[in-house]
Amino acid sequence: MTDAQILILMSTLSTGLILGAIFALVAAGVTIVYGCVWLPNASNGQFFLLASLAAWTFTASFGWTSAAAAVGVLVLGTALAYLLEWTLIRRLYDTPNRNVAYFVVTLGLTQIMTGIFSLTYAKWSDQFTLPPIVEGITMFGPFPMPNNRLFVMGVSLLVLVLLFVLLRYHPYGRALRAVFQNREAAALRGVNVRAIYRLSFVLGSVIIFLGGILFALAYSYDLTVAWTMSITAFAIMIIGGPGSVVGALVIGMTFGFTQAIVSIFASPTAATFSYLGAMLLILLFRPSGLFKR
Amino acid sequence: MKPVSDRALWIFAAAALALPLIADGNKFLAFVLGMTYISLLWATGMNLMYGYVGLMPLMFAGVAGIAGYAVVHLTRELGWSFWVAMPVATLMAAIAGVALGLPSLRLKGFYFTLCSLVIQTVLTLAFIFFPTYTNGDTGINQIAPPDWFGGRLSGLGLELMIALFTVAGILICAWIARSPLGQRFVAIREDDILAEAIGIRVVRCKIIAFFIVSLYAGVGGCFYSVYIGFVSPRAFDVLVSMNIWLFVAFGGRGTIAGPIIGTAILAPIPFLLQDLQAFKDILSGVLIIVVTLLMPGGIYGAWLARRRRVQQAGVDSARVQESRV
Repeated sequence: MTDAQILILMSTLSTGLILGAIFALVAAGVTIVYGCVWLPNASNGQFFLLASLAAWTFTASFGWTSAAAAVGVLVLGTALAYLLEWTLIRRLYDTPNRNVAYFVVTLGLTQIMTGIFSLTYAKWSDQFTLPPIVEGITMFGPFPMPNNRLFVMGVSLLVLVLLFVLLRYHPYGRALRAVFQNREAAALRGVNVRAIYRLSFVLGSVIIFLGGILFALAYSYDLTVAWTMSITAFAIMIIGGPGSVVGALVIGMTFGFTQAIVSIFASPTAATFSYLGAMLLILLFRPSGLFKR
Repeated sequence: MKPVSDRALWIFAAAALALPLIADGNKFLAFVLGMTYISLLWATGMNLMYGYVGLMPLMFAGVAGIAGYAVVHLTRELGWSFWVAMPVATLMAAIAGVALGLPSLRLKGFYFTLCSLVIQTVLTLAFIFFPTYTNGDTGINQIAPPDWFGGRLSGLGLELMIALFTVAGILICAWIARSPLGQRFVAIREDDILAEAIGIRVVRCKIIAFFIVSLYAGVGGCFYSVYIGFVSPRAFDVLVSMNIWLFVAFGGRGTIAGPIIGTAILAPIPFLLQDLQAFKDILSGVLIIVVTLLMPGGIYGAWLARRRRVQQAGVDSARVQESRV
């Protein structure tokens, strides 16, 4: 293999890994909330963008370091998620067929946030970037890999593993899966269903915020990323099976590599098209997705 | 749900046809009125699907866009008369609507809505990436008003024509709602498995509904493009679908009066906001949330429920009186 081929291969591999990990992260955030609360978060792309824009504000306007900005955004994001749960989300906990109502509510949230962003950030800049957390470059043969991207990849994979462990072994995770399966039976066994709903919504939202920050650290972005991310996260959730973190991980990684490979030959829009097509096919023939919860 | 009385319908029809004549003096007012009528026609179609069949078709604007672009192509490029092109374009939209709706027939609730959202997104992308027919993101401008016996039908004449089609659309919707077909729709909305069990052919009814609704979307789309004189993918994107849905949900789904009230209140707002289009998005987002959380029946639904309670209160207190005597 020539150096040029190795370069292309390595860059595809690294882009695929980073994108895949971030896709998987955001999709996991969406899928946990949908599986548990029955809330399909259509505004996940806007949450994602909100976190990255907030981090940009902290670094560019307040002069914070990226690490401080990330922590600040996560704290604020947690508060925002609790606020949303308290004002909007909890009002529909007991409604039958609440997934349609939630879908509509989050579409409303999307419109509000899109409006706010186009009034503010769209006027300030076209492209947003964060300064790297980790400096330096590691060489893999002829291929230079910024340490910052390695860091982003590591953090997102670590969070995914932690999430998986949390859901599988921690008492909270067991309670959450119990509510997934049968809300009434879980309540009879002493699980506080409303508290689990609240926790899941906050956890899912914070994971999406984290995904936004990590994406902003690895790449420069513009406001259209919200739209792409929404579609991608929903496609991953539907294909992987709503409520399945493993599904989110596997399909997220697949999509990340698809995007990396397609971007070599064609525009990323082609990749988005293929996600839409795949989602449509799954919706038609196997609405429960490829993976079990 | 009490069916709306014949008298109220005819009074509304007469008033709706008279309004453009009154508003004719003020160009801005007349234009807002015309746009409101087009929105009302769309809202009536959306109401048939969302209010009566109980499905939320977010690809509505996309279907309207197919007719809108088709009518422009047929009149500009092929030189057809608008009055020939409109039925053809509408039929194309209806067939496309049924074809796009077919896959989602088995789905209901959230999955149907999601599927229709995906289809809407694909349609929007298609409008952007097939510039031969749509001129891409730039859109097509300076679309001529419809021809009319050698001249052009614009201004008051066109507004009256739109009003006529809108009124006809509402009357047809009221007629469908009362017909056996409308009752089947309501049965499917309430419980499609039960409806299947009592012998209603759910799939056939849904296909019919798709066809009728797409006709509404198509006629609205045709008039939209010639009335505004400009079409772009943004005119038929998912936000438009959501807006039309909001008109129906805000006014009151599953009633004839509901969408009329909702459209009359909400449709003129963007024109009053003028330069503050971003505020329009924020406002409609807030309204969507408020309607979903606080007023699932919309304004008219809430009013109906209140009236029923008040009437029932009278009956109940009379009973208490009797039992005491």
